[in-house]
Amino acid sequence: MTRRIFNRLVWGLVTLGCIYVITFLMVVSAPGNPFAAAERNMPPEVVRALEARYSMDNQAAYFFQFLAGAVRFDFGPSFQYKDWTCSQIIARALPVSLTLGLVAMLIAVLVGVPVGVLSAVRRNSWFDLTSLGFILIGISLPAFVTGSALLIVFAIYLKVLPIGGWGRISQLVLPALTLSLPFMAYIARLTRVGMLDVLGSDFVRTAVAKGLDRRAVIWRHAFRVAFLPVLSYLGPAAAQAMTGSFVVEKVFNVPGLGIHFVDAALNLDRGLIMSCVLAYSAILILFNIIVDLLYAQVDPRIKEAA
Amino acid sequence: MFRWVVAVCLILLAATLAGYTLAGGSERADFAYVNSTGINTLDPAQMSWTPDIRVAINIWEGLTTYDPRTTRPREGAAYLPPDVSADHLTYTFTLRPDARWSNGDPVTSGDFVRAWRRAIEPGTAGDYAFFITDYIAGAGEYYEWRNHNVAALTALNRLARGWGVDDESARSLWGDAELPELAAARPGPEPPTVAEITSLDLDWGAIYRRRFERHAAELDARFVSVGLEAPNDHTLRVMLTRPCPYFLDLCAFAVMLPCHRSIELLREGVGDTGLTPEGLVVYDPQWTKPDYHANGYPGLITNGPYRVADWAFKRRLHLETNPHYWDRESIACRSIDMLVYSDLNTALMAYERGDVDFLPDMSVEYDHQLVELAVTGQRPDFIFPVVFGTYYYIFNCDSETVRGRANPFRDARVRKAFALCIDKRTLTDKVIGRGDPVSQHVIPVGTITGYESPPVAAGDAGEARRLLADAGYAGGRDLPPIDLLYSTGSQHGKVCEYLANTWRLELGVTVELRGKETKTFAEDKVKCNYMIARAGWYGDYADPTTFLDVFATGNGNNDAGYSNPTYDALLARAAAETDAARRMQLLADAEAMLVNDEFPALPLWQYTNLMAVKSHVRGLHPNPRLTFPFRYLSVQR
Repeated sequence: MTRRIFNRLVWGLVTLGCIYVITFLMVVSAPGNPFAAAERNMPPEVVRALEARYSMDNQAAYFFQFLAGAVRFDFGPSFQYKDWTCSQIIARALPVSLTLGLVAMLIAVLVGVPVGVLSAVRRNSWFDLTSLGFILIGISLPAFVTGSALLIVFAIYLKVLPIGGWGRISQLVLPALTLSLPFMAYIARLTRVGMLDVLGSDFVRTAVAKGLDRRAVIWRHAFRVAFLPVLSYLGPAAAQAMTGSFVVEKVFNVPGLGIHFVDAALNLDRGLIMSCVLAYSAILILFNIIVDLLYAQVDPRIKEAA
Repeated sequence: MFRWVVAVCLILLAATLAGYTLAGGSERADFAYVNSTGINTLDPAQMSWTPDIRVAINIWEGLTTYDPRTTRPREGAAYLPPDVSADHLTYTFTLRPDARWSNGDPVTSGDFVRAWRRAIEPGTAGDYAFFITDYIAGAGEYYEWRNHNVAALTALNRLARGWGVDDESARSLWGDAELPELAAARPGPEPPTVAEITSLDLDWGAIYRRRFERHAAELDARFVSVGLEAPNDHTLRVMLTRPCPYFLDLCAFAVMLPCHRSIELLREGVGDTGLTPEGLVVYDPQWTKPDYHANGYPGLITNGPYRVADWAFKRRLHLETNPHYWDRESIACRSIDMLVYSDLNTALMAYERGDVDFLPDMSVEYDHQLVELAVTGQRPDFIFPVVFGTYYYIFNCDSETVRGRANPFRDARVRKAFALCIDKRTLTDKVIGRGDPVSQHVIPVGTITGYESPPVAAGDAGEARRLLADAGYAGGRDLPPIDLLYSTGSQHGKVCEYLANTWRLELGVTVELRGKETKTFAEDKVKCNYMIARAGWYGDYADPTTFLDVFATGNGNNDAGYSNPTYDALLARAAAETDAARRMQLLADAEAMLVNDEFPALPLWQYTNLMAVKSHVRGLHPNPRLTFPFRYLSVQR
């Protein structure tokens, strides 16, 4: 097991390195100059000297300089927001996104899984059809629609929740709910399909024939197998939710990573782009590793193979 | 299994929420306003964004400050009026003895000299360095000298490390009087090529070190030639390059704000020279944070009515009154929150709910409906002032070819033809739909006291076609496809399509629209890589020159590449004129040239700004310059 974890971590680092190289190449070949002011023009001598100061005049040197810094979590200054370093920006934004994403994922699992199981068990009942409808809405409506709708209902008309911001539980409810909807819907759907498959399989029939309690069959035996596809989905989904959703952050004014990611690209803020990409990738890789390891614990077939 | 999943989820949820609650929220300030972009920088020497400047003028105080109604200069850290010499070239300011920094230190004339020097040193100089280099005697020369040396040091430092240099750097090294060994190693009248320079057998490291040390040693002695004197802590003498009737207005602006001496703790540099290897002056950019304490730095110290109490990146900037401010008794609004709402729809909802008191900018997609509410009086808290700026398009007056095609806009007749056939009223009323006031002028009419905008002759599409025929392009024949450059986002695309369509119909030309994302757009515009480009200008001080200088030959912001000796001569005569009325007339003549005959730019409309202020806020006066000194506010909820 330890060896398995070690192997996965080493490969994760290799992947991260590849991502760094590709991002670096894309960033340095992007058109435009981050020192080109939007309104006024700087003397060319000074632009050249500034480029030298930030190692922009020698890409190879910049490549290794950034890498050496990144190992120590020092990503250098932001070009656009001069008073801040990239590490400070990420250190402030990442916990926000992680919290919001985690809460959203937990809501998604806590609601999505039971709904999926129940609709599989009561197939074609009114509950199944209603939940299917909600799932369809959850998957197809973009967050800026659901988010704005929730805001208008709960913050403007009912005035029970604040418009946005960060710091109080009440400010967390709407963005977490909005962010969780598509994940919730997908999880419910995965669970339903998985359960339907399993409920029709031989071992369930045997268990029922043996006279086992129906609830025990569904929740203990069938669910264990039906949960596997959900589990493998949870890794990338959690990474996606936790690294910040640009739209949800914008609509609910949540100071997370997603907005910086998009702004950094628009501003050609090289250091910030690369540090955001690395942070995102590291989280994605980490979650995939965790899910893989959990998978082995849950699925006896994989455990034996290992 | 199912129970396990639920249990794990619930435990995680509880733990996250507990951690989140401990992080805590914040109290509401007396007055809260929205900033949709966040602060770019709080360094007054480098800032150029309105939201940044809005904060700066409230936490620092210059020699003068802005009147909240008229935005004319009034007393700040110095007494008014200053002692002005008979030739209008020397201003002697006396600082208030009770002017204090937020840590209690007295504000001294040295704090102004330090700040103004920072504002023109390469490395810390920003967009508004020209406020000092243009107007203060000797500052322009010092700036040039420094830039030249920085260029030489940057190139030599590269050579010393065995890296190549580009052509321009090579030529500048060749012309460097302080590098005799270079001329000795490779004599001849022609500057050497890059290959020749790198092949020279010279000890670049030693040359670089000697050059660097010499420059660093010379620095302070050279700065003495700049017309800034601080004979004692309370007197500041400023020598100008030319009479400047609006100098007191300039003194209130961000780049002229003073700087506390504690910043010197954060200066970076090789040894004790205070210069980076490239010769730049660089301070740890985090000096603007109230809680930054590296190297014994006390955190940001300011001298204005407010001090920064807390700054959360792109979330909130919290201001509180400066306990040592000389006029602290008169401040009714004790604390201010600048809240960042990156989505203006959300900001508007927050305003409607009362979470914020002031929305300085409401440029949402449906803003024409909000403007309607404002102008019909249905929402008296929505205000729609005309502001100090003009939205225009510029023609490339300089390049012979653009993207491989002959550029017809070097001919003023073609520019005029393209300008005359636009129906601006339809554009603002129907296409944009906000009803912004159309403009025939570069300088917004009626925004500068004492300045009478010149009359503009009416023209129509018929005249436009005649002009085009005169220029040899009758019916649009022989004109290459016109390259129209704009920045994507906002309403620019709509405007471009309308312009392109009009030119197609009225003049028979083909127009190619080229939308680019802001940064690459700026680069193309600066390099004159366009035929027609979207542009615009906001005035920086209450004088016509703030708009007219943009079209002077060689001006760093003259993206149209316009150059006309007659126009330059008019501006020069105005600069030398000490009679105010005659000076304004000369400037009006200059503007008349631009908007009647020359058309380096096609003015479309005067900028407007839709904003919202709660009725319980008193003392916030809408003004064309969107300058809001918060110390005059009072909030009666």
